Amino acid sequence: MGRLISAEFRKILTTRLWWALAIPAVLLAVGWAWGVSAFVTDIADDVADSDLLATTGIEVSDMSWSVLALTRAMNIATIFPMVFGALALASEINRKTITTTFLTASSRASVLGAKAITYTIWGLVYGVVVAGAASLGTVLGSNPDYLPEGGDWFLVLMSGIIACVLWTLLGMGVGALLGSPVGALVLLLVYASFVGPVGELILFGVTEGSHLTGWMPNGSANGLTGATASEVLFGQVQEIVGNNAVLAQADIEDFDIGVRFAAGAPGAYSLWVSGLIFLGWTMIFFVSGLLRNQRRDIT
Amino acid sequence: MHDGSGRIVVQNLTKNFGQVAAVQNLSFQVEPGSVTGFLGPNGAGKTTTLRMLLGLVTPTAGHATINGQLFHQLENPARVVGAVLEAQGFHPSRTARDHLRVYCAAMGMPDQRADEMLNLVGLGSAATRSAGGFSLGMKQRLALATALLGDPQVLVLDEPANGLDPEGIAWLRTFLKAFAASGRTVLISSHLLAEVEQTIDQVVIISHGQTMYYGQLDELRRSQQSRVIVQPADPNKLVAALQEAQITNVTPMPEGRVAVVGATVQQIGDVAARAGVALYGVQEEKADLEQLFFRLTSGQYAAPGTQLPPPGQGQPQQGYAQPVGQQGYPPNQAPPQQFQQQGQQSGYHQPPPGYQPGYQQQGTPPGGWGPPPGQPPTGTPPGGWGPPPQQQQQYQAPQQDQQHGGNA
Repeated sequence: MGRLISAEFRKILTTRLWWALAIPAVLLAVGWAWGVSAFVTDIADDVADSDLLATTGIEVSDMSWSVLALTRAMNIATIFPMVFGALALASEINRKTITTTFLTASSRASVLGAKAITYTIWGLVYGVVVAGAASLGTVLGSNPDYLPEGGDWFLVLMSGIIACVLWTLLGMGVGALLGSPVGALVLLLVYASFVGPVGELILFGVTEGSHLTGWMPNGSANGLTGATASEVLFGQVQEIVGNNAVLAQADIEDFDIGVRFAAGAPGAYSLWVSGLIFLGWTMIFFVSGLLRNQRRDIT
Repeated sequence: MHDGSGRIVVQNLTKNFGQVAAVQNLSFQVEPGSVTGFLGPNGAGKTTTLRMLLGLVTPTAGHATINGQLFHQLENPARVVGAVLEAQGFHPSRTARDHLRVYCAAMGMPDQRADEMLNLVGLGSAATRSAGGFSLGMKQRLALATALLGDPQVLVLDEPANGLDPEGIAWLRTFLKAFAASGRTVLISSHLLAEVEQTIDQVVIISHGQTMYYGQLDELRRSQQSRVIVQPADPNKLVAALQEAQITNVTPMPEGRVAVVGATVQQIGDVAARAGVALYGVQEEKADLEQLFFRLTSGQYAAPGTQLPPPGQGQPQQGYAQPVGQQGYPPNQAPPQQFQQQGQQSGYHQPPPGYQPGYQQQGTPPGGWGPPPGQPPTGTPPGGWGPPPQQQQQYQAPQQDQQHGGNA
């Protein structure tokens, strides 16, 4: 297995794909985090200046609004590790290097196992890089008052890194299942960037704010990052409200839904539940892709 | 673990792709120390058979083993069998050296093995070039280098001469003979008999996914009766004299010539002299193997339901070329041979000492291509190019009743 993992690393490092995807991932994460945090800062500044909150005694700067920028930026940048994973096996099938790969391994299962381990590591690498880029963008764009504390910051980044790893493996599973890079990329990109988010909005509206969207692959992935951010904000609100007791419980729940919406995860479950649901989706695609290749005739 | 014999056994191998029967009940055996040609027209099922042998395609029925084991039972298969299946399996932007190093890692070979193999196949100077920019011939050579990386005991090549220049073909021929002479096994497929005729000892000819002939190439050659074309002064008188001398297989030909089968030039000359018939020309004509091959494999595209002529009952039918076909190369004059002399000027490196054709006389391999570690030395192959230890029956009579069973 060690030999095959080493071979997989060489395959990745001797071609350009890994940095060709890492560069736009970094640029997108920095830019997105910068833009969102600047936007959030503008709104929060406006709200802080209004009389509305003054009467409740809530300080807007007690809230770390910029976690929204962190989470949104990482969420959008997961597309790149997903593409990277999707090409792991599909491009080998397409370029026919899979023949030699299977001929030089003791079994197909060992090849796919080695790929799973290798791409988990690469998913982590992408996750860390994207986390760093999103943090940089957030620092650049945000009012320092709205930056989260170290612990919360770390929690959001961790959830983003886990999302990157799982998206990589999910992409790999879909690629292995379809066996075609174009098919896998079109399917994944259309779903992750259009069908998923729009469909979840519609589903969220139609089912009147149910958690159904949190069960979808994209919804649960967004929940993984989005719910973390909204929990941070929600916790802060509860703390403030606990001291004030001005806002009713219903308002707090409305706030929770609103913040989840703003974090890009309407109807999502909490961090751990979302993470487990998304892990389940990843496993479904990954295992079925693996089984598909166990039987595939390489002609 | 595998038995280390280097023997390939294909037994009752069958593969159906949906309704299409690609391979039907194929059986043959490839012995170490020889080069076996696997011949058949395009679409006969050669590639499918080789891919089943290599575990890439799952057989519908039957099995194929290497060293007595199914491919997926081999612990580190690339150290036992190397394969050249297609010249396409390269990432276009990965360099030749990197390509080989990826698979060095996979099979646990040291990295310098990559450069050694590149030099061996004559790609040493192209090591840092991307495989995407390679010509077809260069890709074939890179595929061969990949197959040889694991220092395998068995080499399987699917149409390796495609895209190779005559010089490359000559080099490959020398290389494969030397490789087999060191006690290893070579199975090479081709759709052209002439392309591999001078390389192979044994031959498996298939058509319609069925075995048409299986045995020594020399046997096939010997089974060809020669005919003698005579230009006599008086054909009728000669024919009468020949028939009197019990030489009855005589066919008149245009321009007063006579074709005689089953008699030597001397016999005919004697008969003619006794009968007082002057002979203006006597020409012995060996039947063309290529023509025989063509007849063994013809009917590939026959309409479903057409019954094939029974292919060879113990002996192939006489392999005479049609009159037009007489331009076909006689076995000893195949054009690629002339290139063998020019090997020295080529960009190919001379095979290392272990690869020299003369090597089979020596008892111990002088390094490089000895038997893989852990395996008992195979010693000198008996008699150089002799037949494998046990003689197989020459024909695998195909079962006619199964042949069109699925097509109706």
